[in-house]
Amino acid sequence: MTFPGKKEENILEEPLVKMVGIHKWFGKVHALKEVDLEVKHSEIVGLVGDNGAGKSTLIKVLSGVYKADKGEIYFEGKKVNITSPHDARKLGIETVYQEQALAPNLSISRNIFMGREPTLAFGLIDRRKMNKESLDSLSSLGLHLRSPDLPIVILSGGQRQGVAIARALHFKAKLVVLDEPTIALSVKETQEVLAFIEKLRQEGISVIFITHSLHHVFPVAERFVVLTRGEKTADVKKGDMSVEELTELIVTGRRLHN
Amino acid sequence: MLLVLIGLIVVFSLLSPHFAFTSPENIKVFLALAPEFGIIALGVGLLMICGEFDLSIGSLLVFSTFIFVRLSETNLSLLLVGLIIIGVGALLGFLNGIITVKGRIPSFITTLGTMMFWRGITLLLSRGIQRPFTSEASLFFRSVFTGEVAGIIPVQMIWFIGIGIFLGILLHFHRFGNWVYATGDNKEAARAMGINTDMVKIICFIIVGILCAFVAMIQIIRVGSFSSRVGQGWELKAVAASVVGGTSLMGGIGSMVGIFCGTFIIIVIENALTMLRISYSWTYVVFGLVIISSVLVNFYMEKRRLRYGSKVSEESSSG
Repeated sequence: MTFPGKKEENILEEPLVKMVGIHKWFGKVHALKEVDLEVKHSEIVGLVGDNGAGKSTLIKVLSGVYKADKGEIYFEGKKVNITSPHDARKLGIETVYQEQALAPNLSISRNIFMGREPTLAFGLIDRRKMNKESLDSLSSLGLHLRSPDLPIVILSGGQRQGVAIARALHFKAKLVVLDEPTIALSVKETQEVLAFIEKLRQEGISVIFITHSLHHVFPVAERFVVLTRGEKTADVKKGDMSVEELTELIVTGRRLHN
Repeated sequence: MLLVLIGLIVVFSLLSPHFAFTSPENIKVFLALAPEFGIIALGVGLLMICGEFDLSIGSLLVFSTFIFVRLSETNLSLLLVGLIIIGVGALLGFLNGIITVKGRIPSFITTLGTMMFWRGITLLLSRGIQRPFTSEASLFFRSVFTGEVAGIIPVQMIWFIGIGIFLGILLHFHRFGNWVYATGDNKEAARAMGINTDMVKIICFIIVGILCAFVAMIQIIRVGSFSSRVGQGWELKAVAASVVGGTSLMGGIGSMVGIFCGTFIIIVIENALTMLRISYSWTYVVFGLVIISSVLVNFYMEKRRLRYGSKVSEESSSG
């Protein structure tokens, strides 16, 4: 993607998000120790690490669920203070959690617009607009569903991720954080989700893909950040390392100085 | 659901001796009396969709009734008293809500507690004595709460239908309704999407409280004397009405039309069994059967819907 003009070049150089020296304690547990994380524009970053490495905690700090005990966050070069999920969303950071993203018995469109329903007078929902825009967002991800009134329960796992991602897309997210989006999915569904992520990048949206199965993230991500027991142990570009070497890093927790 | 209701009405009409069930007198009494329970049950259904229970409705009702009777004995204008009572109902509902969400106590327990507490307080204050309610100065109140529309239809029924439509619009067409469903269906998702689920729940509790206070006034004006036993046994009957109407005990599933029909089914059964001169004890036997069978039917239909639905979505999707 090319941006003409000088100003845009500046934006491209400067990362979309920069987290610096993040610390988080839960009582006596030091869950994050001096963690830095950077995501550039239209970049897909794989955030990998074993269970309990601090991946989710780091993301919850970014999405405003937890407050960091120390450290700074910069968004588009400006220092920001994210104290609630609402703050994060206002900046353009959308987080899609594993089990928490969707209400299974509500319709697709009601899920996409949950909490942000378009309204007519007196707070009545503008159903036509909601349904139309839902279908638009879904089809721009390449997901064609028969009706936006279908409840989530009847969708496959891959389609559900698609709905959650369509929501982020519709609300003009600049950064989409996916927390284990492929965890319970079949191979085919995983491929679907990876295609959605590729679509997001084409739309100019950055993605943080959290997973502990490196094989899922490897095909799409350009860079990998490895967390081990609350510390960042590696930050490597895809070309610099093979899957095997990276897996080795995650398992051993050896620190990589690069 | 509607078919079940109509079926019941037809069967009861045919069964009742001398067609007492469909006699104008019975219909009139039924239409005046049944909405008292029905109005509250609608609120309980709404609350259940957002994932909470209220077992204290009978006690909120009796407490508001008592306060209403006491205040009407003072010099305050009855209109003001009415407003105060609505405020009391809202406050009691708010207390149920705030204790539940801030204390992180299951509302089943919170409202079990407030059910005992407010009934106890009412008994203490009233010493369990019946108290006459003289509403001479309240022609306005009488016509608003116990009058008749077009000379035949008791106004209570109009309130019942009106409140049903209002709550239906709120639930199905207003954004607040979407928050109620989301809160009951997946609280974490709702919260992650910026919905203040605590507030949604508290508002639903307040709606139930207000409806209790409202019914307290309708009822006392109709009955004319205060009894501390008012509303006993309504709490589970209201839950039953919602469940019969297809509301999930886990929250997130249900509709106002369903709740309305479920409530109607419960009150029709209760009235009809009386008119059939069947011992009141049988009412509970029938309630028991109706509740269990309706849950089984709902469960079966839900399963069928899912099986059918997933086929549909597979056919129509492409990655």
